[in-house]
Amino acid sequence: MQELSQKHLLGIKDLTADDIHLIFETADSFKEVINRPIKKVPSLRDITIANVFFENSTRTKLSFELAEKRLSADIINFSSSNSSVKKGETLLDTVNNILAMKVDMVVMRHASPGAPHFLSKHIDANIVNAGDGTHEHPTQALLDTFSIREKLGDVQGKKVLIVGDILHSRVALSNIFALQKLGAEVKVCGPKTLLPKYIETLGVQVELDLKKALNWCDVANVLRIQLERQQIKYFPSLREYSLFYGVNKALLDGLDKEIVVMHPGPINRGVELNSDVADSDHAIILDQVENGVAIRMAVLYLLAGKGAG
Amino acid sequence: MKILIKNATIVDDNSTWHLQVVDVLLENGKIKKIDKKLSKTGTTIDGTNCYLSIGWYDMRALFGEPGLEYKETLDTGLEAAKAGGFTGISLFPNTEPVLQTKNDIAFVKNQTSRALTEVHPIAAVTKDCKGEDFSEMNDLKKAGAVAFSDGYKTIEHEDILMRTLMYLQKFDGILIHKPENKRLNMFGQMHEGPVSTSLGMKGLPAMAETITVLRDLELLKYAGGNLHLTAMSSADSIDLIRKAKKAGLGVTCDVSSYQTSFVDQDLTGFETNLKVSPPFREKKDKKAIIKGLKDGTIDVLTSGHVPHDEESKNLEFDLADAGIIGLQTVASNVVELMQDVGIEKLIAALTSNPRNILKLDIPTIEVGSEVNLTLLDPLEKWELNAGTNKSASKNSPYWNKTIQGKVKFVARKQQYYID
Repeated sequence: MQELSQKHLLGIKDLTADDIHLIFETADSFKEVINRPIKKVPSLRDITIANVFFENSTRTKLSFELAEKRLSADIINFSSSNSSVKKGETLLDTVNNILAMKVDMVVMRHASPGAPHFLSKHIDANIVNAGDGTHEHPTQALLDTFSIREKLGDVQGKKVLIVGDILHSRVALSNIFALQKLGAEVKVCGPKTLLPKYIETLGVQVELDLKKALNWCDVANVLRIQLERQQIKYFPSLREYSLFYGVNKALLDGLDKEIVVMHPGPINRGVELNSDVADSDHAIILDQVENGVAIRMAVLYLLAGKGAG
Repeated sequence: MKILIKNATIVDDNSTWHLQVVDVLLENGKIKKIDKKLSKTGTTIDGTNCYLSIGWYDMRALFGEPGLEYKETLDTGLEAAKAGGFTGISLFPNTEPVLQTKNDIAFVKNQTSRALTEVHPIAAVTKDCKGEDFSEMNDLKKAGAVAFSDGYKTIEHEDILMRTLMYLQKFDGILIHKPENKRLNMFGQMHEGPVSTSLGMKGLPAMAETITVLRDLELLKYAGGNLHLTAMSSADSIDLIRKAKKAGLGVTCDVSSYQTSFVDQDLTGFETNLKVSPPFREKKDKKAIIKGLKDGTIDVLTSGHVPHDEESKNLEFDLADAGIIGLQTVASNVVELMQDVGIEKLIAALTSNPRNILKLDIPTIEVGSEVNLTLLDPLEKWELNAGTNKSASKNSPYWNKTIQGKVKFVARKQQYYID
């Protein structure tokens, strides 16, 4: 059996293109499985997975839980909207307490960039990063690129636009790394205040005009405006944002070609994406959600194959 | 008590023995003899390949006493200073409470009066280092404050900084200031650049330092006085200081010695022992610091010693405190810099320059003078670990790593320390 090069999934940065292709191929089989009448396989029987979420999450957590259940893993859940430190217990203590109950894998979301990397230096269990602050969200990028591959046949050579709040987005960063590893061209678009100053050093192009950017791309991945992660004022109002960076049907109708529209959810309808696009044939948003389960099954399955220790 | 140092190269441009390889005999706290060859007597220390200079002086260290004794007490800090080769040290006021009254200064001086390393407390400019109400600077000076600073807290308001520069002129006092624009640095975790971008971390732009240096220099031009800018890290800041010095402004500056040893690319593993303020910047900044040391724009090398307990460091990067213990590893930074900067410039930055800025007496290496010496062995390799560390904290990027360069012998008056 082919193996991943990594014991953990901390970020796309650490994966090779071969790793990503292996995850895709594995996800292909699992996608077939979850569309059968009996959706469950015994692959992770006797494996216990802890879903440890230090930040609010609805869909990522549901998606991981479902993936774990489809693989017949045993699951425990820990959620705390505060970072654990505020309760007086450190992250390391919290996780070690969970691991003392003989857990094999940890799926963690945390507000601090690098929190899963920190953990990986101290514990033996396999770690899956389910989002670390503004750093990475690797399974989201895998499901996004998997969905592009499914829709357009291949990621190689495609032009992908990421629109919106790049500065606070772990989805953007992981997508940039994944798309580049798979040979796509990446451009980002948004108010300059929401683009990291040095974003071009990552090999992506910058366009401030949304219509020009949309005309360039094959796929537009529209990001949620992360109001909760913005600590300072970056633009005057949501109204002005949606006027200049909101994607709507009129805008898409005015383009020279048909493009695919993605969104990692949850959508702020009428802000970054209008309903007339979100619910149209352009959008593959619900395919992304379905693919999320298959991708997460693939990741968990492959990491379990690597074993702990 | 007699101590004979054999075969050491003297580095002291005030001494007639400068750059000569000699034997030095110490007796009862005085330099008794210096000559090409002295016969063996008392305790002998082999100084072959070693540099013997006047005692090193650390212009910027922070201990934890009073209030933060679990990070560093005066005793443990001074043990680290001694082992690091320092016969003198000035301490930042950022303790709890802040060093801001006559009693605070007296406490530090009394507690440390018997140590090998002479301690000079730096008093706060403003109450609790909040940048608002002035401390009683005249009185603090009389009580023994060597200089004035809000330490690692930047004075945000221009008028406060300007009036401090003016007020201190009565006694030719010196203001030590760390330039940093808090608003531009808000939520920042590491140097802003390609590396912070790829790590998704909020950056601390070099410009946040440079813009404050520019402001401070303008205020100095207007107010006059003595301004020492501390903990420099950006290439552009160093350029500004170079120009200001050429224009005749009364400005001096320092860097932490470890600032020349790391760059932001070293942080890709989220290593909290590399989290420091100001942050490690890019290769061009490191080069500019080395150039600044070489051409004298940067006057002083400091230990930048900031101790933190394990609970402040062994956690997520953005929750960890910034700081590195530096006292015992300055020697290895000096060795790293020797080829580019030259030993004479480095020793001056560690000995006479800080004492000049603080208007302290400068020891010499001549027969009859009082003992105040540091012997650096640039070849010795050693490991900073639980066995060799003297500090109460262990937040060092060199922890459990082999480094080159160690202080072999340090002495002041009758007290000495042999490694």
